[in-house]
Amino acid sequence: MTALTHPNQSNDENLRVIAGKRFRRPTLAPWMVVVLIGMVAFLGLGFARTSLDRSAFDLAELNREIATQEALNRNLRLQVARMESPARIAPLADQLGLVIPGQVQQLMVDLDEPLPPTIRTNDKGTN
Amino acid sequence: MVTSDRGLPPLRSRIAVVGIALVLGWAGMGYRLVEIQVVKAPELASAGLNQRLVTRDLAPQRGKVFDRNGDLLAMTVESSTLFAVPTQVEEPLYIAQQVGNFLGVDVDVLYERLTSDREFVYLKRQVDPALAQEVLDLGLRGVYSHPEPTRYYPESAVASQVTGFVDIDGVGLEGVELFYEEQLRGVPGRAVFERAPDGTPIPQGISDIVPATPGVDLITTIDLPLQYRSQKACQEAVRTYSAEGCWVVVLHVETGEILALGGVPEFDPVTRSHKDPSCITEEPPPRCTIFNFAVRGIFEPGSTQKLITVAAALEEGEVTIGTIIPDVPDQLELKDGACGLRRGELWGCYADFTRHETVDMSVADIFAQSSNIGTIMVAEKLGQTRQVEYIERFGLGVKTGVDFTAEASGILNFEAGCDICWASAAIGYSVAASPLQMAAAYAAIANQGVWTTPHLVSSTVDVHGSTEVASLQTRQVVSSGTARLMLELLERAVVQGTGTGAMVAGYRVGGKTGTANKLDLATGQYTDQTWASFVGIAPISNPKIVVAVVIDNPHKDFRTGGLSAAPVFAHVMEQALHRIGATPDANVR
Repeated sequence: MTALTHPNQSNDENLRVIAGKRFRRPTLAPWMVVVLIGMVAFLGLGFARTSLDRSAFDLAELNREIATQEALNRNLRLQVARMESPARIAPLADQLGLVIPGQVQQLMVDLDEPLPPTIRTNDKGTN
Repeated sequence: MVTSDRGLPPLRSRIAVVGIALVLGWAGMGYRLVEIQVVKAPELASAGLNQRLVTRDLAPQRGKVFDRNGDLLAMTVESSTLFAVPTQVEEPLYIAQQVGNFLGVDVDVLYERLTSDREFVYLKRQVDPALAQEVLDLGLRGVYSHPEPTRYYPESAVASQVTGFVDIDGVGLEGVELFYEEQLRGVPGRAVFERAPDGTPIPQGISDIVPATPGVDLITTIDLPLQYRSQKACQEAVRTYSAEGCWVVVLHVETGEILALGGVPEFDPVTRSHKDPSCITEEPPPRCTIFNFAVRGIFEPGSTQKLITVAAALEEGEVTIGTIIPDVPDQLELKDGACGLRRGELWGCYADFTRHETVDMSVADIFAQSSNIGTIMVAEKLGQTRQVEYIERFGLGVKTGVDFTAEASGILNFEAGCDICWASAAIGYSVAASPLQMAAAYAAIANQGVWTTPHLVSSTVDVHGSTEVASLQTRQVVSSGTARLMLELLERAVVQGTGTGAMVAGYRVGGKTGTANKLDLATGQYTDQTWASFVGIAPISNPKIVVAVVIDNPHKDFRTGGLSAAPVFAHVMEQALHRIGATPDANVR
């Protein structure tokens, strides 16, 4: 196989490659990234600020709600105390025929005596 | 000058003029901008901030008061105060009528307020928030409300003589509310914040809040059910015996805790009005003051004082309970000619309550039968110096130190040159004590001779937890042996003597009756009205409770301590023993 030479090879012998100023199209990508980051940061900050404000409003609302519930709790507690007052209950008990217990009867148990079988503890310590 | 065809300045000149005007305008605005944004910036920013920034005091929540079981005695809740701005009110008469009907306030009073030239008038303070809202819903111009704390006492008159009350601004005026004012009120806080035009805080704005520290809660030693039963017993006693008043003190022997303290006349701590109809008059009698007689009042204790006289003589070894005092008459004239008759009764000299022959009496019988002459003869062996020493040891004539303001110290009337005061003091005259002092003296006998400071508050509770109240003062006033002998004598006084009405089913009880004629302070003479009292201890086998009952001027048919005070004692003591779960004594009916 015979190697063929380029038809114009002889005319280009004096040519050489030199570094030239090549026109390069401006690269937009980094700027776009910067702008994008800026926009994201701006929007993010805006969003964060809005969220923060919204949270602050929510917090203020929750604090108000807590105060309201605590006030309600105090009022309910007061009502319970009023309902449980002996001055209220005793007359009602009288109307129902209830009386204050009379003489107290206490059953004295001699613990040294063996317990009856029905309540004697078993080996496992349970009744 | 070049002009246009129509006589106007050339275009360039007009442009120049407009340009200059614009430049000057912009320069002016720029100058103003620099002036506002740079030169005056700090000043204006500060002015703006001052407009937005407000400082508010944060009122602390006043501490609550509980009984020993955790039942609520006093508490602060939010209420509403209705007010008006008279300059904004357009129809004062209409508003006065509308609001007056809702709030139950006199229309004329409201009208006068609404037509005054003041900038702010109260319509009614501290009303129920729901009621306040109903008034606001009427849409009356110039009528507003703001929240305000209000003190409530859910038990009303029960224990009101212990809790006391506060004024409309929440400052303690009476009872433990006054004594513990500093602890109960808490420490105010402070809030600095930026506010919006509607007054609400601006979120994310400047905010510097020092929260208020709430007041501490008080845990009292009072047992609410027992307090109620004690007051009820006093009410019944006043009604049954047509008495002017009745006071009860219930003490826990070992700890000095006051389980109940109060009596009749009683009052509502919110309205500060009495419940006794006789006190609801234009000129109520002196007894109707809001006054805790059990702590602040004094009375001549009469024969209940004999406990101290006999205990001192036993402690000093002058007598034993079996010592026979020979020839005890039924009257004694220490000053010649002192004895006389008034309205058929012996006055001016010392006499026993019942007439009897001159007899030999043992110390035990003298005590059980409450012989005045016998007790004076025992006191004679003791001498005035030692007698006064023991009276003071038992806490009479000095304040007990109870946590209650303006406590009475009592009176020991041993004036110079009075050569019979010792005899009077031996049987409970020339000496004045409060019911609490007498209860504490008997508690010393019950507690093996150890006197303990009575107290109303056992602990305080704050955000850090519970704290015991200051340590109690104790002192040995007589030996435990003497205390044991006195318990025996006290039991004998109930079983065989004048105090049979004080017996409690199932328990051994000891105590002493007291009947003293009341002194008319105006004339300095004794009257036929009496202080009837009973102070006792139970169970004698293992003393737990002391109850003192004092009845002011019972009907003459019930004028003695044995007839009027002893039954009240029995009722209260029974309740107290049941409340603490005291084991009944065997073989006692």
